[in-house]
Amino acid sequence: MAEGALNYDPSKNYDDQTCAQQRDIEKAIADEQPLVSDILSFDELKTEYQDDEIFKLKIDDLKGRYKHMRKTRGDGNCFFRAFGFAYLEQLLNNNTDFPRFKEIASKSKDELVALGFPQFTIEDFHETFMEVIEKVEKKCTNEEFYQLYTDQGISDYFVVYLRLIVSGHLQKEEDFFIHFVEGGRTVKEFCNQEVEPMHKESDHIHITALTAALGVNIRVEYMDRGDTPKCNQHDFPDGSRPSVYLLYRPSHYDILYP
Amino acid sequence: MAHDQSSLLLRKQLRDLNKNPVEGFSAGLIDDDDIFKWEVVIIGPGDTIFEGGVFKAHLTFPKEYPHRPPKMKFVTEMWHPNIGPDGSVCISILHEPGDDKYGYEQASERWLPVHTVETILLSVISMLADPNDESPANVDAAKMWREQPDDFKKKVGRLVRKSQDEL
Repeated sequence: MAEGALNYDPSKNYDDQTCAQQRDIEKAIADEQPLVSDILSFDELKTEYQDDEIFKLKIDDLKGRYKHMRKTRGDGNCFFRAFGFAYLEQLLNNNTDFPRFKEIASKSKDELVALGFPQFTIEDFHETFMEVIEKVEKKCTNEEFYQLYTDQGISDYFVVYLRLIVSGHLQKEEDFFIHFVEGGRTVKEFCNQEVEPMHKESDHIHITALTAALGVNIRVEYMDRGDTPKCNQHDFPDGSRPSVYLLYRPSHYDILYP
Repeated sequence: MAHDQSSLLLRKQLRDLNKNPVEGFSAGLIDDDDIFKWEVVIIGPGDTIFEGGVFKAHLTFPKEYPHRPPKMKFVTEMWHPNIGPDGSVCISILHEPGDDKYGYEQASERWLPVHTVETILLSVISMLADPNDESPANVDAAKMWREQPDDFKKKVGRLVRKSQDEL
């Protein structure tokens, strides 16, 4: 057999190798992509799609309606990471929504504990979550905010807590959300498998639950292979006035600035 | 730094466990300078064949904790379907979703960032009382547990006494 040829033995278990390979890929992504990028122009985005006429048309569509964008790391947490950054940055520049949001954020811990989440860890995640929010309240500079939010430890804790808020909301509104859970799972199983673990990608159900739980509306611009020259938009909830704008490209979310 | 957050959380848990001990186990560090390596002592749960045993195990936390689970390994000799011949504990909550080496059922609970040393050890104690032979880490122990329960009981009884002598 040629050297290096794939020698598959069906009786062996390749799970360890698969996991190790997965870690290598994650590390490569982490080295290459910042958690949240600097501000980028749409022309910079275009360089990724040199030979792709459809995507170039769609980027022109975005260019007509948005000023610029930021990319987030493609680590499965991008929806939560993008949402948190975009919303907090906005509060930093205009704090009219701040008191409402802070009250929801403060109360959320007791609600999660009441739903049966373990107090010890919930408190820990919540503490960091509130620290970030309080920095924004005290009007740190945009640069200080960027530093804070791109600190991996703090940023990941923020994401974990947003995931917990989504899980709590789904479980609280179980009777409604059970209709959107696939694979014959209970809402709790779905939360344990698809919401609470880090690196699990988000779907419509996550976005619906997060916007409902926090009362923050999101518009998503979908840039897909469809052959219309424009991006499709969807507002969460339907018909609401958005305050956070995200760009969706197949299995990834970035931040848009109107 | 991610590192700070994980060591902070581990320190908090250690302090909390020392202040409010949980029945059934005790926990400390192997080396006071390394918060990522713990030594725990589990007391064999009452009304099970492990009753009276004093089992020492090590928990090794990754830098990505609590986003990734720790590994747990018994130092005391064990005989159990879900403990590998090298002492490694194989229960579903110590594995991330998608890590399917032991063919856990889809619905079985996986690692989540909300888990703590306490929730892990409570799961391990319940595993001692109630083995899961669907996904054995020690095939021989699983076979004996299923087919020769008396031999299994005797063998565990010997290890329980041995664990007491090692104190």
